[in-house]
Order: sequence, then structure tokens, then C-alpha cells
Amino acid sequence: MANPRPAAVWIGVAAVLFALQAGALTQFLTALVVDAVAAVPGVAVPAGVAALDRAADAVPTLLSRETIPNRGYYDGSGYVGTFLGLSPDLAWLLRVTLIYAYSFATLAWLWVGYDRYRTHYRIADWTPRDDVIDRFREHKWGLFGVAVVAMFFVMVLFAPALSPTTTAANLENPYQHEITYWTGDGTQTVTVGQANLGSQSQGTPQENVGPMQYDDYGRIHPFGTLPSGKDLFTFIAHGSRISLIIGLVSVGLSVSIAVVLALMTAYYKGKIDLGAVLVSDAVMGMPQLLLLIMLSVILSGTWVGKIYSGAFVLALIFAGTGWPAMWRSFRGPALQVSNREWVDAAKSFGQTPTAIMRKHMLPYITGYVLVYGSMTLGGAIIAIAGLSFLGLGVNPPTPEWGRAVNAGQDYVTTASWHISLIPGILITLVVTGFNALGDGIRDAIDPESDAEDQGAASGRGGGA
Amino acid sequence: MRPDRAGDAHAADPSGEAARTDGGRDALLEVEGLTTVFHTDKETIRAVDDVSFTVEEGRTLGIVGESGSGKSVTARSILGLVDSPGVIESGSIRFRGDELTDDNWNAHRGDISIVFQDPSNSLNPVYTVGNQIRETLRIHQGLRGQAAREEAVRLLESVGIPDARRRVTEYPHQFSGGMRQRAVIAVALACDPDLLVCDEPTTALDVTIQAQILELLDELQEEEDLAIMFITHDMGVIEETADRVNVMYAGEIVESAPVDELFDSPQHPYTRGLLASIPGRTVSGDRLPTIGGEVPTPTTEPTDCRFAARCPEAFEACERVHPEPVRVGPDHAAACLLHEEGYDQGFGDSSVGPAPGGSGDGTATDGDAATDGGERE
Repeated sequence: MANPRPAAVWIGVAAVLFALQAGALTQFLTALVVDAVAAVPGVAVPAGVAALDRAADAVPTLLSRETIPNRGYYDGSGYVGTFLGLSPDLAWLLRVTLIYAYSFATLAWLWVGYDRYRTHYRIADWTPRDDVIDRFREHKWGLFGVAVVAMFFVMVLFAPALSPTTTAANLENPYQHEITYWTGDGTQTVTVGQANLGSQSQGTPQENVGPMQYDDYGRIHPFGTLPSGKDLFTFIAHGSRISLIIGLVSVGLSVSIAVVLALMTAYYKGKIDLGAVLVSDAVMGMPQLLLLIMLSVILSGTWVGKIYSGAFVLALIFAGTGWPAMWRSFRGPALQVSNREWVDAAKSFGQTPTAIMRKHMLPYITGYVLVYGSMTLGGAIIAIAGLSFLGLGVNPPTPEWGRAVNAGQDYVTTASWHISLIPGILITLVVTGFNALGDGIRDAIDPESDAEDQGAASGRGGGA
Repeated sequence: MRPDRAGDAHAADPSGEAARTDGGRDALLEVEGLTTVFHTDKETIRAVDDVSFTVEEGRTLGIVGESGSGKSVTARSILGLVDSPGVIESGSIRFRGDELTDDNWNAHRGDISIVFQDPSNSLNPVYTVGNQIRETLRIHQGLRGQAAREEAVRLLESVGIPDARRRVTEYPHQFSGGMRQRAVIAVALACDPDLLVCDEPTTALDVTIQAQILELLDELQEEEDLAIMFITHDMGVIEETADRVNVMYAGEIVESAPVDELFDSPQHPYTRGLLASIPGRTVSGDRLPTIGGEVPTPTTEPTDCRFAARCPEAFEACERVHPEPVRVGPDHAAACLLHEEGYDQGFGDSSVGPAPGGSGDGTATDGDAATDGGERE
């Protein structure tokens, strides 16, 4: 550490970034602790832990609905309850802008951190990874993918803070929450459920709340409302979570199976390889959609089927049917690297097979893992949306993008076009983003690959 | 099919026994009747066919032959690195008396180390050189942390890399070819081996670097009392490094002798051909003699001499009898019918090899060979 200044500045910025969101982080961590303690049977939550939880709740979070509220009402002369008395749409826009600005500042901070490590502290002045990163930075299509995927991740992370209202109030228990609104000569209180009935989007100009419009109860709907009168943006923001979680779990599981199998078949070859070929052929021969319908019916009553409104079962089925295609993609490069001399050298020096696979073979297929992983993630998001569209996927009230598309399909040609179109466009955009990211990574890893003549890696298509 | 199969073990013995008594040293590695085959869809390739030799402690055994003669497969067999579809079909490999072919390789990992031909391929490019030395140190000497770092620096210094403390943190691509091969040797030495198998370690390097690496191996052998099995196709390199030389052809050892004797009086026409084709050994201005044709790929047990098709001294019997190793000197064996009695050597004898240097000696020892060969009948 000959030159501590860049690191010190970087850590200082980290402290500022942390302070802004300290509340959210400490609340998250203490909630974890409380949940963990509560999960231990026969032990009451100790007073200290409970006090910690309360203390954490008191830590302010800058980017939250509480700090910058958009929910208020007009009282004849101005807005009550909104941030600085701004109109709800401006307050909401301000919050969204701040959240995205904060997120991109954090990304920039990470990049600067890497850059400073590379220029000031790393001993090697060049490593093969540097070229990969530099090539990626030149790759416009890949950068577009990064931007889209980053925005999607921010939506997933900050879904509660981005939404103009909460899922509890708007989607799950609308009749147990109340809102105050301005009737023209005074304020009145009504349940959210009641208000939702009055703000439905049913396709006629009279009964429609479009994007960035207020309903009769003074609520702002950035993406309009669903036919049921619920807020579409809240639905989509929280639906992004389930899309990503199913996507990550299914891709994570199938990538793990595929990587382990690819390394083993490439290292041991022979009978293990043949066995894996047979099993993967058998799995690929099964009709995925029928299997999905069958398993979701069979498992619907069991505890597995209830985890996350059936999303977990979906992820398992996607993983169980998706790994053979991935394994086939990884097997080639794994076989290639298994023939390299350093693998033989490691064998001759008595390195264990698992260590050889992990240390000397895995680094050579991580590129492929990233490419196929990001592309399959897009495919999984489409597949889940497609299944939900058919009514097979995630059960209500858990929001899922495909269900929004389904709900709006009768209104596509009417005034309520936003119900199908906005989630549809978002699905397309996010999947394109993941594919672009995969393309960028592939081109960055392999300087000789040409985007035009190599269509080898393409995402797994929709499930429906 | 082989008429004198019974004489096999008998025939292999003299050279081995002689080697052990001659050097007065213990045999570190004894290979006997090693046969490694590759089962392909079309045929079974006998890459190493009934090969026997001994490596003594602290000595260098050279194995020389053209590409495709089975040198590397021999090395890989010894290290247990033969991958499917290859398999060690028969024979025994004993290290300090322990039979390795009973899946015993793991017990002696690190006692035998290998240095491969291409240094840019035997170092993993994603780890620093120090990292790779430490990996081996951890496995074989249980060194970790600071101790391992110090030892890695010491090893790099011992293979003659200047500024080792800095170089140890560098990646293989930051090393030049010669430096890289030194680093590979350092990794091999990190096992603290008794036997270093060098599979063409200088082939990918240019001549000046070659000489440095050979010198380094020489020094290391003296310092650490290493036995070295040195594989190369370069007769010049063999002359400098080896104490004893096995000449391989088409999976078999066709001649085996101490290095000086082999170079002074080669007994096998193939060895003579190899020696003749070393640049600088011919009269300047003459065309460099070569051995026409290619090494055949042996797919069946031999019924003839595999070199017969290319041999300038071949005669009729070479097409139908497979020559067994015959003792042609006190510590010298060759597998050639020229040295066996009872075959008509009519037209072969007059044109003794293309080797101008060896021809005079050759005919003289031919007589010895005949008597020696006679003994075994």
C-alpha cells in the first residue's frame, strides 16, 4: 500500500453511499437475525434482539416511500402528506429518479474501485482478464445489455420503494387499508378496495386510468391500472422479483448441474460421458410443457408447490429440463481444456481430480457459463411469462408479468391498451437485454468470434 | 507367431542386469515388457510394444527416436497419464520396487515429475507462476503461506531466474520461452522428485536457450541427485545429456547402450541412420543423409522387423522374423537380425549403413555381436 489515497477516497464514497441507505440495510440484516431466532423452535425472541430490530427500524432510509412520500391528498389549497407538498406524480418521479441515480452511482463506484485496484494496487500490470473487460467496454450492444439488465435489477431490488403504493395495500388486502381523498369540498376516507373499484381500466374512455394518470381518488398510476383497478406499476415492479428469482434459481441450478457434469465427463471421459449423454437425451426427449402441467397439478397441494406461490416448483422444473442443453454446450470446451498439458501436469504432480477440475478446468468454461447463463435467464423469463399467460405459472395474488399481459388481452385495441402492452414491452426489453449482455460477454471473451457468423449461443425459447 | 517367444525375458535380461552391475547404482525405475495400446474404432495401435529398461539413481537415461516411435507414450505410461482409449496392456513398471501398474501411481505422485515439451502449454495461464509452484508445494511438502512463498522464490532462484522475488508474482505470459521452461522445471522440482521425466523439454526452444536448459538440468542433477529420463528426437541433445541411451522405433527399443558406445559403434541400422542425419557429422558439401519413409504405425504383434521397409541393410529374413534384442557388447543390446546367427545376410552385409563414421567399427563389432547372439541360443 504505497499509495493509500485512491483507496481512502473510494472507501469514503462507500461510507456516504452506505449512510444514504443505512436504514434499509440494517433493517434487512436485523430482520434476518429475528427471523433466524424465531425459526428456532421453543425459543422466544430475546429482548435484546427485539430491541435491535426496533432500533434498526428507526434508522432513516433516504430512498423510501416514507422519506419521499408520494401518497397524499389535495385539500383545496395544496397537497397534504406528499414530499414538500409536491403533486404526487412529481414526488413519485423524484423518488424514482433518485433511486436510479443512486443505483448507477453505486455501479460507477464499483467500477472506479476496480479501476483503482488495477492501476494502483494490483501487482501484475496486465492480466488476460483486462483485455476481456476492455473489449467489453468497446462493445455497444453489450453495454446496452448491461444498462437494461442493471435497470431491471434495480427494479427488483427497489420494487417496494419504486412502487407508488405497497403490495399489501394494493394487491393483497385492499379492504384492510384506507386512503383519504378530496371530494371537491372536503376530504373523505375510503378503503383501497373500494377505490380500486372506481379506478378500473375496462377499455372505455370513461372507465380507464392510463399511464401517468390520476384516478378519481387522487392516486397516481405511473403505468395505469389493471382491469381490477389495481396499480399496474406496483404489480410489475413486484412481478419483476418473481421473474428474476425463478430465472436465477432455475438457471443457477441447471448451470450447476451442467458445469459439474461437463467437468466430470470431460475429466473421466468414457463410460461417465456415455451415461450423461444417455440421460440428457432422455431428459431432452420429454415434452417440457406437458411435464410442467403434470407436475404443477401433482405438486399443487404439497408444501413444495406452495413455496413462493408455486414459483419454486417452476424453477425446479426449468432446471430439471434445462440442464442437458447447457451441459452439451459446456462439454465441448471442457473436453478441450481437459486435453491441455497443464491438466496432465497437475495430474502427474498428484493434484486431486476435484481440485484439477476446479482450478485448472473451470476457469476455461466460466465464459461459456456466463454467456449461456445470461441468455437462458432471458429465456426463463419469457417461459414463466408464457406459462402465467396460460394460467399455469405463478398463482395470484403474487404478481407476475405474464398474468398482466393475459389480463389485458381483451383490451388491446381499446383505450386500456396499456395493460398488455407495457408488460409485454418490458418482457421483450429485459430478455433482449439479457441476450445483449450474453452477446457482449461472448465477444469480449473470444476476440476472434464474430457476432454475425456465430449464432451458436441463443436463448432457450419460451415455454409456451 | 513369434518363433522365439520363450527367449523374450531371457533376451531382455542381459542389458538390464548389465546396467545395474555396471553403474554400481540401484535401479530407481524398472520397466519390463511394457505394452501400451490404443483401442481405436478401426484398429488397435501398439504405441509401446514390449519395452524394457531401467533408470538408475542419479543417472540420465535418454530415449531417442523419430516422431511417432512411442517415446512420449512411454513417458506417459510411467506417470499413469495414459487416457482412454489408451491402456497399459501388459508389463510392469516398478518404482523403488513398488509395482505402479497396480494403480499405485498415487502413492508415488511427486516422486516422479514430468516436464513437458511446450512450456507455454504446461503452465496454466490464469495463475501466477508462484501460485502454481505453491500449489505443488502444498500437495507434496505441506507448505503454506509465507513458508510456501519463500520456498517458491528459492525454487525459482535455483532454476536460474533472476529477480525471482518479483517474477514469482508474474503470470506465465510475462515470461519468455526459456524462462517459462525454467519455471516449469521449478514446478516439477517443487514435488521434490527422485525421477524427472523430461518429454522433449528443449524442442520448443531455440538453440541457445536449449543449451542453457540442458546445463540447468545437469546442475540440478548433481545438486539434488536426480535421476532423469530424457526424451528427445535430437541426437545432439542426447549426446550431451544422457548416460545411457535407448533408441526407440515403432514402439520398440531397437538399441540400448551407454551413450559413448552408442555414438562410437552403433549396432542397429536405424541408429546409424539417425547418427548420419545429424548435421555436421557428414563431410561438408555432401548432401545430408536421411532415412527415407516414415515410422509405420504398429497395429499387430510384430512378425517381421518393423524397420525392414526403410532399412538399407534389410535382407530376405527381415520380412518374416521379428528380431529380439541381442547382446552385442558388454552393456550393449540391439534388436537386429544382422546380429543373430543363422540368417542369410548375403546382400545386406556389403552396404553397411549410410553412417560413414560408424561403418568401420560397425563391421568389427558385428563379429562380436554374432558370437554374443549365439550364446543365447
